[in-house]
Amino acid sequence: MADRATFEQDAMEFAPQLYSAALRMTRSPADAEDVVQETFLKAYRAYDSFEAGTNLKAWLYRILTNTYINKYRTAQRRPNEVELGELQDLYLFRRLGEASGATESAEKTALDMFVDDDIIEAIESLPESFRLPVIYADVEGFSYKEIAEILDIPIGTVMSRLHRGRKALQRKLWDLAVEHGLVEPRQ
Amino acid sequence: MRSGCHNAVEYVYQYIDEELTLTRRARISLHLKRCHRCYTAFDFERDLKARIAAGGKTLPPPELFDQLRALIHREHDNGDSGS
Repeated sequence: MADRATFEQDAMEFAPQLYSAALRMTRSPADAEDVVQETFLKAYRAYDSFEAGTNLKAWLYRILTNTYINKYRTAQRRPNEVELGELQDLYLFRRLGEASGATESAEKTALDMFVDDDIIEAIESLPESFRLPVIYADVEGFSYKEIAEILDIPIGTVMSRLHRGRKALQRKLWDLAVEHGLVEPRQ
Repeated sequence: MRSGCHNAVEYVYQYIDEELTLTRRARISLHLKRCHRCYTAFDFERDLKARIAAGGKTLPPPELFDQLRALIHREHDNGDSGS
């Protein structure tokens, strides 16, 4: 059992990450602050039930996720599979390779052309059921098991949503690169 | 694409996420040693993941910390005494 008196000290180090994740979910700084504040309040009240020594970060993210879902979730609960369509594996790698011709490791260099705003726009463009797993795996570095616990879904579902979400993110990055004239798509 | 490449690419995310069993991981590592194209592709996916981790983070406004502290202290003063 965790002691409420140490909550502030234990949890505060996670505030920046929680805010960042909340911002990617809500896409609004004011809403992100609200979600983090509500998360901290709920977590403080429930801290007696948190088992000390277990995964505090994942526990906080689970509360954050539930808070976000209860407050902002759009009516549609199941991911719209059609929305993403079928995408090739290694989507971005292949497109960049085609665009640059046969230049050695040109794909790697091509990554440097993306600015942080592109990355953020690509993440935030994903439908919610894919966005959350991608944020947790790619940005926050959680394991599949942790993501399954945070989102309360089976590991197999985490993996398939992550797989599809990452491909969709790659397509968005490619579209942004084309839109900004950074690459010349091969016809 | 050769079948060795096909098998490797199928597990690319589990490989870079370090979520594979040791046996399967070893089998794919062996393929990557022999196949330059797959090695480059895996390397790219790893770099992209790192790029997303770095670019996907946003720092909170500095006042957030004070707001959270104030919230906890207020809750402590109000709630804890009554329970």
